[in-house]
Amino acid sequence: MRPTKVDEQKLYQATPGWLTSAVDILLGAGVEIIAPVETEPGAVELAAVKSSEGLTLDYANVRLPLKRLFFPMTEVVLEFDHQPEGDVEVKSEPLVSDTELVVMGARPCGVAALESLDQVFHWDYDDLRYSARRDRTTLVSFACAKPDPSCFCTSVGGSPHNTAQSDVLVYRAEDGQALMQVSSDKGTRFIDQLGDLVTAAPADTQLPTPPELKAKFDPEQVKTWLDENFESDFWTDVSLKCLGCGACSYLCPTCHCFDIVDEASWRAGQRRRNWDCCSHPMFTQHASGHNPRPDQASRCRQRVMHKFKYFPERFEKIACVGCGRCVRACCVGQNLVSILTDIESKAKEGSNADVA
Amino acid sequence: MSHESSTTQAQTLIPLDYMASKMRIVSITDETADTKTFRLEFCDPLQGEQFVFRAGQFGLYSVFGAGEATFCIASSPTEKGYIECSVKRTGKVTDELHQCNEGDIIGFRGPYGNWFPIDQMQGKNLLFVAGGIGLAPLNSLIRNCLDLREQFKAMSILYGARSVDDLVYKERLDAWQQREDVQTRYTVDPGGETPEWKGEVGFVPTVLTSMKPDPQDTVVILCGPPIMIKYVLASLVELGFSAESAYTTLENRMKCGVGKCGRCNVGKLYVCKDGPVFRCSDLEVLPKEF
Repeated sequence: MRPTKVDEQKLYQATPGWLTSAVDILLGAGVEIIAPVETEPGAVELAAVKSSEGLTLDYANVRLPLKRLFFPMTEVVLEFDHQPEGDVEVKSEPLVSDTELVVMGARPCGVAALESLDQVFHWDYDDLRYSARRDRTTLVSFACAKPDPSCFCTSVGGSPHNTAQSDVLVYRAEDGQALMQVSSDKGTRFIDQLGDLVTAAPADTQLPTPPELKAKFDPEQVKTWLDENFESDFWTDVSLKCLGCGACSYLCPTCHCFDIVDEASWRAGQRRRNWDCCSHPMFTQHASGHNPRPDQASRCRQRVMHKFKYFPERFEKIACVGCGRCVRACCVGQNLVSILTDIESKAKEGSNADVA
Repeated sequence: MSHESSTTQAQTLIPLDYMASKMRIVSITDETADTKTFRLEFCDPLQGEQFVFRAGQFGLYSVFGAGEATFCIASSPTEKGYIECSVKRTGKVTDELHQCNEGDIIGFRGPYGNWFPIDQMQGKNLLFVAGGIGLAPLNSLIRNCLDLREQFKAMSILYGARSVDDLVYKERLDAWQQREDVQTRYTVDPGGETPEWKGEVGFVPTVLTSMKPDPQDTVVILCGPPIMIKYVLASLVELGFSAESAYTTLENRMKCGVGKCGRCNVGKLYVCKDGPVFRCSDLEVLPKEF
């Protein structure tokens, strides 16, 4: 792929070691920072940092999806307290802090996934907590130099150098220098805050070539087959080894299903929003006992259909960014890419059969 | 905001924080052994005055400490100052609701979802077909239409339940039966009758066929268990009705009520946002996941 040349106004450079200095500068300015930290051997997460120690640049991707910073695994939406005289005190949990937050180190796929979440959380109703977190956050993403073998962003319209939704995309050049591509006002502010640490890149600066990542399937072909095959034995085949544990959904940067539950002691408690997952049998079960998705086959089908058919039909976007977390995490080796390549083959067989 | 450009809707967004409004239970009616109707008033009188909804819409009702559950609003939009919901005791939240007394405070979010196309029903014959607790959402529309009776031609109500004890809104059923401008047919499943039962004995689709309703200029509104809907639609087709002239309301499990929790979808449609009211012909093309 040919390197892309960008407007010199928007391209900055910094010397190796910039991350440590940037964290020090921003912490000094009272900015909250979330950055990549090795939390246990082999696992890197985006975590709140109070100093520039322990930061790492050495990872293919962080283990947990970026969504959790905007749509947490669990959050309080209101608190209640039954009063002795029969009244109930109900308090809306205050919205999140408006302190500036800079998130560094997310990969372009996780950041691009926010496009899907933005649509869901701003669909007619503006989910105030989600929006408040989005508003206060500057996203400084790190371009991928070495994707994981399970990555497939280029199959779903992404790229290791995708700038979508990033305020700044940081590239590591061959010589260890960082190139910073700024695409929003928030990004410009971030650069300004770093002062002398960054300088405008020379006019002839070329962005590094993205690493080779061949597309593994064509989502258009996949959708063609999905359009015609709601009823298919394929879904049973796919579901046979699925345990319905939900790891794929919880780690998915675009999955947004949630539950709302009350957690209470005798009189007082909280109403919480928790991540949920369409692979669970109870997810759709009616109070009557009727379940529109009564078996794992129908639930596996929902997961694929939602990402590659329903979501695109509704929002003109595939609800998958190819981060590969579901492939890496599945404890029984279920592989979304294999499922999709199988579907693509079926689609091609189908169209060949038509021609014949 | 950097992400504003990615939203699909240009209209003003409604702020959402999942806060529940407090409502006071002002009366409780025992409908059947396991179903109660609650009449509720907003604790904040201003909120009560400002609250508007349309027949067919639903809300998220909550007992603080037990959680939220989705029910339609069973009263009519023409009745001001209160709403009603009918609740069958089947789970955690409904158990707790059934433990509530008059004067207790519960939570409410809503109204959500679309509504019955009452404007398009004007000047038409209306045929209501309901089974069991499925009369609740139709109750709202029937009461709404009766309050605007002159806007519609003939009105017929066919209502069935498994047994006489399972019939809900008995006082209203009697009141509707007394009216000369409404045709009523009430039925119970074979074996569900009592010696005193004066209504029909038979399944709803069979009774519907025997009523021989005229498809001409008639809108059908039906709600009940999925199996009843299926056979009622078959009977309607035999009688010459088109699926375009029939509406029903779906009740998939929901948590948010506003198209975000990802639970109630049927294909690309969300029951909470694209429904709960659907034209039956539109349901025919959907995956059977409701």
